[in-house]
Amino acid sequence: MNRLKFFAALAGVVISAPAQAQSASDSADFAVVGNVPAICVGGSVTEAGGIFDLGILVDTTTGFLRSDLSAPSQVLAGSFCSSRSSIAVAATPVVAQTFTATAPTGFSRSVDFTATAAGWTTIPASFSTASASNPAAIQQRTTAFSGPITVNIGDFATTGGTGLRLVADTSYRGTVTVTLTPES
Amino acid sequence: MARSSIMFALAFLPLCTMPAAAQEAASATGLPVTGSAPQVCTLAGGELQAGQLVNFNGISGDTLQVTQLLDQQTLAARPASATVSFSAVCNYPHQIRIQSENNGLWPTDGRQATDAPGFATALPYDANLTWGNSSGQLQMDARIRSNREERIDVDQATAGTVTLRLAILAGASNGGVNAPVLAGVYGDTLRITLEPK
Repeated sequence: MNRLKFFAALAGVVISAPAQAQSASDSADFAVVGNVPAICVGGSVTEAGGIFDLGILVDTTTGFLRSDLSAPSQVLAGSFCSSRSSIAVAATPVVAQTFTATAPTGFSRSVDFTATAAGWTTIPASFSTASASNPAAIQQRTTAFSGPITVNIGDFATTGGTGLRLVADTSYRGTVTVTLTPES
Repeated sequence: MARSSIMFALAFLPLCTMPAAAQEAASATGLPVTGSAPQVCTLAGGELQAGQLVNFNGISGDTLQVTQLLDQQTLAARPASATVSFSAVCNYPHQIRIQSENNGLWPTDGRQATDAPGFATALPYDANLTWGNSSGQLQMDARIRSNREERIDVDQATAGTVTLRLAILAGASNGGVNAPVLAGVYGDTLRITLEPK
């Protein structure tokens, strides 16, 4: 029994030796890192499913483009960019979808218009489908931002001249595209 | 060892942030613009073409009146002609229809006798029509009082002028050439229609 106790005591000394070495202070630094990527989100459209519905394009007594064409604004709600950004608006003319041939003399199958996107930058981004150059189509914002973007269309004109009439077609279609891009 | 391990981790930080940087993303929202152009045909009121009026008074409203229908000596029909233009448009492939109500100039008074031996009781005339690249002719022979019409297919949208030339030939009648014409007021109604095929 005594012999047994001795070995037990000896073993206790050996094992406790490393514990005595921890008595000296020490420190370690751990870096906690993360990042927020530059992200832009265009938000959701609140009006009429995001469609500019112009209805009947022509004056049915003359065949010419209606002078009172309009469509309610579309609002991109909840748009944000987590960094400085640019907003760009682009558009394609409203074109007859069924009548795809060249329009006969005196007629056109396309309507030009101007699209604007306001609320993101001091100067709204603007794009005219009739213009070969659209320098105002891209606008920069130097700070992160969150807010609605209001998109409007207007200044409708028959492609080729106001003296032309539109060919009959049950479906005319164009697009407006608003793009938010983060910038470094 | 501890510090080395930390420095090693720091050395890798830039590499670890690369995937995050790739998340920089643009957001594009497309908004369709839609509309429609229904089938439309319009036909304005007629206007006489200058210099194209022979033995006609002119146009008054929708009426074109012959100045002197008969030769006062022979009572045979005198020649007369007029060209009338109508501004028109059809924004789809269509047809133009010209219709004579009486197939000639017939007495407008229904009480007038129509069987006077030796006399003509109706006057034939021709109508030539031009519309875009199409043209047609309607001949009212005045043999039978009835409707007569001509339909012309137009295979594309057309805008411009419908031109109608009316002509009464000298001596024309339903009783033979140069037959004397029974006294009365003679008339016909021509109707021009732009419509779907």
